[in-house]
Amino acid sequence: MLNWIARDRVATLLLVTIAVLLAVGAAAPGFLAPSTATMIWSNGLVLMLIALGVFPVILTRNIDVSGGSVLGLSAVTLGLSLNAGFAMPVAIALTLGAGLAAGAVNGVLVAVLGVPSIVATLGTLGLFRGVMLIATGGEWIEELPETLKALGAKSIGGLSVMGLCTMVVIVAVWAFLRARRGRWVMVVGDNRAAARHLGLPVKRIEFLAFVWGGGMAALAGITFAAQIGFVPNQAGTGIELRAIAALVLGGISLLGGVGTVAGVVIGVIFFTSIDTALVFLKIPAYWNDLIGGAMLLTVLLIDGRLRIALEARDRAARYHRGEAPTPQSKTLEDAA
Amino acid sequence: MKPTLAELVSVSKNYGPVAVLKGVDFSVRKGEVHALLGGNGAGKSTLMKILAGLVPATGGQVQIGGAALSPATPAQAQAMGLYLVPQEAHIFPNQSVLENVCIGLPQAASAYRSRVKDLIARMGVTLRLETKAATLEIADRQIVEILRGLIRDAKVLILDEPTSALTPHEVDTLFTRMKSLRESGHGLVFISHKLHELRAVSDRITVLRDGFVVHSAEMAQSTDAEILAAMSPGVTALNDRVEGKIVSEEKVLQLSHLSGEGFVDISLEVHRGEVLGLTGVVGAGRTELAETLVGLRPRSGGEVLLEGRPFHATKPSDAVKQGIVHLSEDRQQYGLFLEAPLYWNTSSFVYHRLPFFLRPGREQTRFETYRKSLGIKCASADQPVNSLSGGNQQKVLLSKCLAAEPKLLILDEPTRGVDVGARNDIYRIIEDLAAAGTSVIVISSDFDEVVRLSDRIAVMAGGHLAGELPAGASTDAIGQLAFESKETTHA
Amino acid sequence: MKKLILRWEVLLLALLALELIIFGMINPRFLRPSSLLFGTSDFVQVGIVAVPLTLVIIAGGIDVSFASTVGLCAITFGIANFFGLPLAASLTVGFATGALAGLLNATIIRLTRLQPLVVTLGSLYMFSGAATVLSGVVGANGYEGIGGFPAAFTGLGYAQMFGLPMPLFVFLCFSAVLLVLLHMTRFGRLVFQIGQNEDAARHSGMPVFRVQMWTYVLTGLAAALAGLLLSAYFGSARVDLGGATLLPAITAAVLGGASIYGGKGSVLGTIIATFVIGYLQQGLQMSGVPSQISSALSGALLVIVVAFRHGLALLSAIIPVRPGQTN
Repeated sequence: MLNWIARDRVATLLLVTIAVLLAVGAAAPGFLAPSTATMIWSNGLVLMLIALGVFPVILTRNIDVSGGSVLGLSAVTLGLSLNAGFAMPVAIALTLGAGLAAGAVNGVLVAVLGVPSIVATLGTLGLFRGVMLIATGGEWIEELPETLKALGAKSIGGLSVMGLCTMVVIVAVWAFLRARRGRWVMVVGDNRAAARHLGLPVKRIEFLAFVWGGGMAALAGITFAAQIGFVPNQAGTGIELRAIAALVLGGISLLGGVGTVAGVVIGVIFFTSIDTALVFLKIPAYWNDLIGGAMLLTVLLIDGRLRIALEARDRAARYHRGEAPTPQSKTLEDAA
Repeated sequence: MKPTLAELVSVSKNYGPVAVLKGVDFSVRKGEVHALLGGNGAGKSTLMKILAGLVPATGGQVQIGGAALSPATPAQAQAMGLYLVPQEAHIFPNQSVLENVCIGLPQAASAYRSRVKDLIARMGVTLRLETKAATLEIADRQIVEILRGLIRDAKVLILDEPTSALTPHEVDTLFTRMKSLRESGHGLVFISHKLHELRAVSDRITVLRDGFVVHSAEMAQSTDAEILAAMSPGVTALNDRVEGKIVSEEKVLQLSHLSGEGFVDISLEVHRGEVLGLTGVVGAGRTELAETLVGLRPRSGGEVLLEGRPFHATKPSDAVKQGIVHLSEDRQQYGLFLEAPLYWNTSSFVYHRLPFFLRPGREQTRFETYRKSLGIKCASADQPVNSLSGGNQQKVLLSKCLAAEPKLLILDEPTRGVDVGARNDIYRIIEDLAAAGTSVIVISSDFDEVVRLSDRIAVMAGGHLAGELPAGASTDAIGQLAFESKETTHA
Repeated sequence: MKKLILRWEVLLLALLALELIIFGMINPRFLRPSSLLFGTSDFVQVGIVAVPLTLVIIAGGIDVSFASTVGLCAITFGIANFFGLPLAASLTVGFATGALAGLLNATIIRLTRLQPLVVTLGSLYMFSGAATVLSGVVGANGYEGIGGFPAAFTGLGYAQMFGLPMPLFVFLCFSAVLLVLLHMTRFGRLVFQIGQNEDAARHSGMPVFRVQMWTYVLTGLAAALAGLLLSAYFGSARVDLGGATLLPAITAAVLGGASIYGGKGSVLGTIIATFVIGYLQQGLQMSGVPSQISSALSGALLVIVVAFRHGLALLSAIIPVRPGQTN
């Protein structure tokens, strides 16, 4: 049981999520409906995209906390260029460009200049937010065109265009990580020196991970603007922390090299389900942070203790086996 | 003359104003093992890193298979048929063995599955491809590294001190593999500190000192004295053991039926002023025994008496306060504070004896006395440890132990990665300590070293105490104890 | 090593002087002693949390939760005061909250052995959530906060000590204590050595957990101090009092010379860096730059300074290989 929980993190979290949803359903009738499922999905879209962006960065044993500001910056780029009369595809291209450029700034700082990623992205968190505020002069951007809002509205099979885009991204990331080059991202975080020793372009991989993070934050910015129809000053504030929390919950190790796309998806869905459930249970919104934070800490505590217990057991097993011949001594004797 | 597979022509390397290599020529031919020897800081590792494309040369040419290495990257060197097996295997702990071997190859790992299997079978080892690399033993990790070289069709393999973490038995196995690689036309570079190992497999030898080649000849035509003299002039051989030492009857430490992680039922005693050699193969439980004694690991049974009184440390500070000090085998990870000044390191076992408001002057004076008595070569007590050579770092660690004024000092592999000159110094320090009444347990896998130092020798195998031998026992006798019981448990 | 750190602090001091001269040329009013002195009340809270944060970072940890601890302590103090506890008791409640917050962080980090960043991110949320919920209990809304403090308390925010404004005085005293603690005592030595090599510290029998715990508790206490000073200064306790200290405080510690990998840093550097950052924002505002741009600039400052230091490190990494390092 212990083994299973720790080794099969995703399944455990899935069961917990289902249990929570059922419990909420019991307390608030009407919660368990297909519409709730699509609601959770669309409520979680922005968080999902940010999390998918940070995911490769964390796999390479770096961290990116500037996601929220990049989201804001790209949403503002989108809003300003639309309101300036650019066509939708052009505006979206500009937005993605802004996000990728912001990611490239992070990438240069970390991969080229060797600044620790937490410091670099904390700095750009402030920097990008400032650039965004300068661009808007501190005003909110309103009256976005209907064509943009349509991207966030339900269209095909109860899902929005952005919702479908996100699904495509999820599948793409999943396929990529199984491919040869996808492995490279995993192993850079697993052992950087070894990756360099084997001739992998470590710096380029790190750089591209940050650029990807910027691009995803731009997609999140588009989704954000499409869903709520305007861009406030504080768009995206704090979402990077929620994304990191969701990733940790989904079993992605901040030490790099460990994590699955399924973990990302279920981590985000769990977080969003809780938020949605709180609304359903008519708990005032100001409880959200307390509950979210307490939940994260509890999960970390349980997860950490489980891991330590498992390690202790593995260790005990190893020393127990040590009394019998080890595989190592067998190879010796085979050769001798 | 056999064709040359890889060649360095008058290669030099400067780090800023410091010249590390000064016009070095070096070559590897088809079907030979070329030994590379040199003290710490002689430039061996830098030379090999240049050959492998990990470090760019300041001047000179690097050629692999007759073509210049360009661009000078590890990927290019590997593509041209050269692979460096580093001293410590570079492992991706969360990936499978197969992925570990195949990362960086032009196709996905699954495409190489049958070839890797084939290579493993040809090397005569058992290794499951799906095993997570984190669970591999050190020797298996080294095999993964060698597999990486072979799967890349490397014609030249550089082995950087491959034997430092291996047991004598494993070393023999490695040598058999090296010889078979030589027969199949590979060129090998073999770096080691141990002359008898180099002699066992090498065809040619090159000795580096201070960035110059000081000796390069056929192995068969070089005598030990010649090689040692080239390596460090002034030191011709390791000093011999002082005979006829009388050890006190007073017992400092008594273990009875002690059990813990990786060892069971160990009963031992150590007398005052005695050097006890504790040896066996890696994994025999020696390090675990020492760590249990000082409270780094839990004890599962048995008793320990220190000077006749029961002793049970649950954390290292307990042991230090009662006079047992342990020096870990991994000095960089568990011993030294590399960025800290030398005198901080000297004080780090006895921080609890320092006044709350520190008096650095006193600590520096204390360091100064150790600097003189241990012969630490340094500019000032303020400089960080990582600016010293391996041998001097080890001496700083000894000063840290001595500052604690131990009754019993446990040294785990005290001369690993230390050159001959410093090794002699460390032997002398251990002898002086014992003469002054400190009991010393020296844990070592180097049977020669154990024989050289010990007043009594305890041999462990498979977690048990395999037997005790008197001073001056032969290395063969130790080897029999260390391996025999292993085979009986297996049978 | 010592020489290098000294050089860095001298460099920082030069940067501060340069900054003052430039702003003085743009706006001479900026250099008036009274505005230089009393302007500090707007930013010393950053320094108050940045100094113990420096200790946390040197010992190999990181704490981001202090930003909400500031508000949480202010709120618990406000509630204690609201329910009629005497001032001294209310202050004790505030400080105890801070110490407990630090203790909680240290304990969870210890129990889970997870990276401190993740754990304190979680508590950053939880503490601000707890503060919001608690302030809801006494019916205070987010903008006004909890008020109604005795005059003896609010007076502290504007009092003067030896001609210095109270917040500045408190900051200087507090950081002087920590300066001595870090650089001249056994505790400080342990902080450095644990940060440099935690494994070696454990093998040497050093009390690793106890020392790290104290660094977190000190940060919690400092957050409480900052929260109470701000409550006195503004006359009300609000949840978001510390929100604006998160980035500048980390910037101050890093700018002051603390290595995010542990083992390096200096209290004096952090103190100077606090003034560099504080006067930068103030100078920009007095020069007519909108506050949004000044916040962007302080983010940019962190990025540039760190990039500069790492650029230097990259350069020096090529130079210093002395014999022995090649192996």
